[in-house]
Amino acid sequence: MRELRFHRDLYRGECVDAAVQLYARYATLTTREEDAHWVVCVEASAPEREERIGNELANYALGLTVRDGGPR
Amino acid sequence: MPPRSVRVGVQSPFPICYSVAVTTIEGFPEDLARLDVDARRAIVDLDASLYPVEALYGAAYVFIDRCYVLLDRPAPQKLRLVLTPKSLDGGEPAVRALVGELANELVSAAYRHQIAQENRARIEAVTMQAIAGAMGPPTLDDLEDFDFTDEAFEDPLGIALSWEEKYAKKAAPDAAPGEDAPEEEPA
Repeated sequence: MRELRFHRDLYRGECVDAAVQLYARYATLTTREEDAHWVVCVEASAPEREERIGNELANYALGLTVRDGGPR
Repeated sequence: MPPRSVRVGVQSPFPICYSVAVTTIEGFPEDLARLDVDARRAIVDLDASLYPVEALYGAAYVFIDRCYVLLDRPAPQKLRLVLTPKSLDGGEPAVRALVGELANELVSAAYRHQIAQENRARIEAVTMQAIAGAMGPPTLDDLEDFDFTDEAFEDPLGIALSWEEKYAKKAAPDAAPGEDAPEEEPA
C-alpha cells in the first residue's frame, strides 16, 4: 500500500477529492483526514502500479490546485 | 558520497516509516537538495520565507509534464518539493539537471511574483481602463445621468486654466470703471 500525504496548506481538499474520484477506477483508494494533511491510501495489484497511480494522482491534484489558485 | 540510510518521519510525503537511501546531489548543499537513490527522486527543501507558495506552485507546474511532483510542508518555515522523473533515462545526472533547473525556475517564479505584487495597482488600473475603453463611448442616457458637478481633479498650479482666464488683465481695485480700457485709435 502506498500512502500519499497532501498538506492542507498546499493542496485544496476539493482538488484532492476530484483526483481520488478520477483514479478510483484504477486502484482501491481510501482517504482520511489528519490535522495538517489529506491522506490517500493507494492499494493496487502490484507495488509498481500503486506507485504509478499514486504519482499520477498527486500530479493531478497539484495541477487542479494550481489552476484554482491554491488552497482556500 | 556513499548513500546513507535514514528514517523517514511521519511528516514525510513518502509512505511512512521505512528506510530510504539518500545521498547529496553534487553542487547542492545537503540541507537544500538530496537524492533518494532507491526511488530515484530528488527532494528539495526550501525556506518558506525566501520562496512564497505562489513561486513554488509556478515552478512545480513547469515540471508537471516531465516529473511527478509532490509538495509538502515538513515544518512551518519549510517547504518541500519531491521530483520524480517520469522517464528513468539518464540516471542521477538527469535528476541533478532537473534539480538545477528547478532551482532556477524557483528564483524566476519568486521574482515574477514580487514584480506582480509591486505592480498590482498599476496593472489593475490599466486593465480597468482597457475594459472601460472596450465598453465603448457613453450613450446619451449615460451622459444625461452623469454628475458633472464634481471637480474632475485638483489643479493647484492653475495648469487647466485657459489662456484668457490666466492672463486676463485685472482691473485695479481703486481704478474707475473704464479707466483701463484702451483708447480708441482715430480712424
